[in-house]
Amino acid sequence: MVRIGAAGPMTGDQSKMGIDLRNGTELAVTEWNEKGGVLGKKIELLAGDDQADPKQAVSIANKFVNQKVTAVVGHWNSNCSINASSYYNAAHIVAISPASTNPRLTQQGFKTIFRVCGTDDQQGGVAAEFVIKNLRPKRVAVLHDKTTYGQGLADFFKKAVEGKVQVVYYDGIQTKDPDYKAVLTAINETKPDVYFFGGVYPEAGRLVRQAKEVGMIIPMITGDGVYDPTFISIAGKAAEGTYVTFGKDPSGLPTNKAFNDRYRGKYGEPGPYSIYAYDAANIILAAIKATGSTDGLKLAEYISKGTFPGAFGEISFDKNGDVTRAPYVVWLVKNGAFVETK
Amino acid sequence: MFIQQLINGLALGSVYALIALGYTMVYGILQLINFAHGEVYMLGAYLGIIVLGVLTSFGFTASHLPLSLVIALVVSMAFCAAYGAAIERIAYRPLRHAAKLAPLISAVGMSIILQNVVMLAQGKEYKNLPPLLASEGLAIGGANASPVQLFILGASVLLMVVLQLFVARTRLGKAMRATSQDRVMAGLVGININLVISVTFMIGSALAAVAGVMVTLYYGVVHFFMGYTAGLKAFTAAVLGGIGSIPGAMLGGFALGLIENFGASYVSSVYKDAFAFLVLIITLILRPSGLLGQKAVDKV
Repeated sequence: MVRIGAAGPMTGDQSKMGIDLRNGTELAVTEWNEKGGVLGKKIELLAGDDQADPKQAVSIANKFVNQKVTAVVGHWNSNCSINASSYYNAAHIVAISPASTNPRLTQQGFKTIFRVCGTDDQQGGVAAEFVIKNLRPKRVAVLHDKTTYGQGLADFFKKAVEGKVQVVYYDGIQTKDPDYKAVLTAINETKPDVYFFGGVYPEAGRLVRQAKEVGMIIPMITGDGVYDPTFISIAGKAAEGTYVTFGKDPSGLPTNKAFNDRYRGKYGEPGPYSIYAYDAANIILAAIKATGSTDGLKLAEYISKGTFPGAFGEISFDKNGDVTRAPYVVWLVKNGAFVETK
Repeated sequence: MFIQQLINGLALGSVYALIALGYTMVYGILQLINFAHGEVYMLGAYLGIIVLGVLTSFGFTASHLPLSLVIALVVSMAFCAAYGAAIERIAYRPLRHAAKLAPLISAVGMSIILQNVVMLAQGKEYKNLPPLLASEGLAIGGANASPVQLFILGASVLLMVVLQLFVARTRLGKAMRATSQDRVMAGLVGININLVISVTFMIGSALAAVAGVMVTLYYGVVHFFMGYTAGLKAFTAAVLGGIGSIPGAMLGGFALGLIENFGASYVSSVYKDAFAFLVLIITLILRPSGLLGQKAVDKV
């Protein structure tokens, strides 16, 4: 029996992301099991719910270590991934995050930690460039949710626009707070032309929804944590005109047709990170097969040198464990859907 | 900005005030802090989102909104009133003559039970309701009072006036005041104490249900844990205004809403929750019985 863990927020307001992550991983595991498993053994998937809470992530990591999992797909939130990573590294467990974009995750010198998504310095740079080139603002406001991911991303954006545009407002908000009208009114008072938000869709949805109610008509630009249809269902029409940085749309690529069909048949519409989790799981299982081993250090070495088929073409890793190329593009919410801007 | 923050604060404050009324009325009569009250508010919000969802599937569109809102409010109020009375009957009445701590523990237990019942029945996920009303409303001095805010403010003030009249003018209201002054004596002069207590719980719970439905409409997000923070804030509002005092709960609720909004906008939104509790501590140091509370005098 080879055990693979899948960890992310499976309850709470970000539960959809954790469940997407688990489903993507499960699909890969099911496909491998249908072909007879790996190394002649069946693959067992263990799901861990970290509730988007870094403390809970550590307890999940400990649980996985005790259950002797070979590798982990996860976590989703950057602070969860970073907190859990030292435990995985110490126990020689390979962990590939499909979604954690904070740069620090892979800069800790850990050999067994990888990610298949981009990083927030790239993402913040793409957002800043887009804003300056296309929206030509004079003044911008920057808001974040005080998490490792949200504040980190907001800071990269701020650094990238500073000197070119005036940053007139910078502050954090409390996650889970239902009411953001006070901070929005304060932002509106500084008369920015656009505001950036570093955070996740439950808060972003409430922000754009309430922004309209306090008479704020400027667009929001935000990061990959907001790229999900749930954002639009929370905010309704108020979501229109919001810019979100995310990877290119893989659904048009022929390699993804099979994935999409199978995923839809089993779980319904794939979430934004389902396919990243699927890729991560496939990389792990391919490495186990190729090395004939479940030793984490051997797997890590193989993964860091190899090239793997992925959603956006071939995936290979640099010396830190980041993907060598991560194309971010800017998406726009238009008529209730995300549309890629050209 | 000042006017906009005033509107935001008043809308938020009236939600706190409506919930705080339930705490203060129960405390006035039973000297019990009903910790399950926040959960009744949460139930009200769930009922709001469920009823509005069901009505939409029956073909009620945006043009029927006033009607579907009234239906949602009535269903939610009736259901929560029954819940409130049942909570009292099951968890508090058997302990009425027990030591003071026993009903308090029972209240905490009730709160945990209700949270878990809703979690099991409705799931741990957040439920969302897209905005039903337009965001542009009344323009007041460069600020925008959205239709939802106006509705919340109007409905709350109306309910508070009705409640005040009910307590001051009706027979049942008089019986409530008598019971809160001296329960034993009121019983001796022929007031049905059990009825009065049940009615108090029903009114408090119905007000919490209104707050729940309005918040559903306002923020569009409902989850099983929402009663905890809201209950804590409303309890703070009740203590701030002077627990046991009905006008105190209203004043406390509005004050808390305004403090949070002005604190978040003029100082920093990072510490939004801290302002409420900071003000509570200062008030309790300077005026231990709250803004409108009366000094407790032990009757001999």
